[in-house]
Amino acid sequence: MAAPVSALGNWVARAVALVGALARFLVEALWATRWLPRAGRRVATRVLIKQVWFTALQAVPLVITLAAILSFLVISQATRELGRIGATELLGRLMVVVIVRELGPLLTALTVAGRSGTAIAAELATNKVMGELTALRAMGIDPLHYHVLPRLGAAVLSVFGLIVVFDLVAIVSGLVAASSSGMTSARYFDIVLDSLTFRDVWLTALKGLIFGIVVGIIPCFHGLAIRGRPTEVPIAASQAVVASIITIFVCSGLFVVLLV
Amino acid sequence: MTAALLVFDNVTLPGGTSRISLEVPPHQAVLVLGSEDSGVDTLPSYALALAKPSAGSVYLFSEEIARLPYRSLLAFRRRVGYLPAGDGLLQNLTLRDNVALPLRYGSDLTEREIRGRLGVMLALLRIGDAGDIRPADATEEQRRRAALARALAFDPQLVILADAFDGLTVRAAGELLDVARGGETSEGARRAVFMTGQYVPARLETRIETRYRLVRGELRTED
Repeated sequence: MAAPVSALGNWVARAVALVGALARFLVEALWATRWLPRAGRRVATRVLIKQVWFTALQAVPLVITLAAILSFLVISQATRELGRIGATELLGRLMVVVIVRELGPLLTALTVAGRSGTAIAAELATNKVMGELTALRAMGIDPLHYHVLPRLGAAVLSVFGLIVVFDLVAIVSGLVAASSSGMTSARYFDIVLDSLTFRDVWLTALKGLIFGIVVGIIPCFHGLAIRGRPTEVPIAASQAVVASIITIFVCSGLFVVLLV
Repeated sequence: MTAALLVFDNVTLPGGTSRISLEVPPHQAVLVLGSEDSGVDTLPSYALALAKPSAGSVYLFSEEIARLPYRSLLAFRRRVGYLPAGDGLLQNLTLRDNVALPLRYGSDLTEREIRGRLGVMLALLRIGDAGDIRPADATEEQRRRAALARALAFDPQLVILADAFDGLTVRAAGELLDVARGGETSEGARRAVFMTGQYVPARLETRIETRYRLVRGELRTED
């Protein structure tokens, strides 16, 4: 009996220690912005722009595809089922709550975590193995400034921007689905826009910010946490994506419990 | 007498019990050779406070570098040129951007001024044609030349070279050493150079003022 309890205790202790280390890493990264040299800001901005290119712009086709298919499937089914009970006006709330506010941010963050989170963790871990981080420190460049802050900023911008793309595409795709079930576009936009509140907008924006931080900081943390052996690189990438996905779901749950 | 630029004072190497002391005076090249397990490769790390010795002190430009606060330490390191073992070039940057990185990050030079200086540095190291390739596509010699150009970006008084000549021809190694020294003045080399490693071509020894060999934790002067 003692062994499972002990194992559970160990697991919980490790999980708490990991969350603490992550929180500390995030605070250190944000604190480092205070003393980023002016010239260093230019360098960090270059890295940020490159990262936005990889994380956001190259992911646009994937996000558009996901949003279009998901929204089309949900709205075409919903239009038919709600039509049977004469409740098509609920379509707007369904679109706003389920797709725009919940699935949009969730799927976008998962896409970025899977696509770019692994890449960031693997890249930083490889940099550490190759001695690049030591070389940066020797040049007087803090890796938090060069590697972490630009990636964190890019992840926030990218997740936020991709959520906007996802939601816009989902609304348009929902229009196509609703039209194919006989609903006019004027009626569709009426019920969707009537259902959209300011609260939905800021909740979605807040999710973009929080999920962006999660998708940016966790891969950086795992990538830099390795000791420097090449065999640790795939492990860091795997840990980063798993931890990011779990954290995104936990945060999504907390949003529902605390703010909705 | 001018103070030494770099001083190791009773420093313990990893796994060793004996302590070593040595100085790198201005205008001189100092070499410490040693086998892979001698701990010689930790000396550059100690010099830049990238690692701390368990005992003893390291003084860089008369400052005990390990005691500097982190932010001051980062700024202080920019006063030294460092070519790490294995070059330490950033793989996702071209050789040109690698050389430019310390200038872009640590100086207020305009991009135009940086490009001007880059042109001179790359020409001096004879990698002007290879500036746009990434380290993975460059030869070992080109990478080492780019790493040295990066180390010299701020025209430092002191250059630290770790395993700088491994795998290079004698001619290339000689060229790199000459560039690192920065030419000759009436007092000796324009820059002080501190080198560590397992091997230095014998023909270069005449250009190195002080040579040591680290044997079983003991520093022996070589003639």
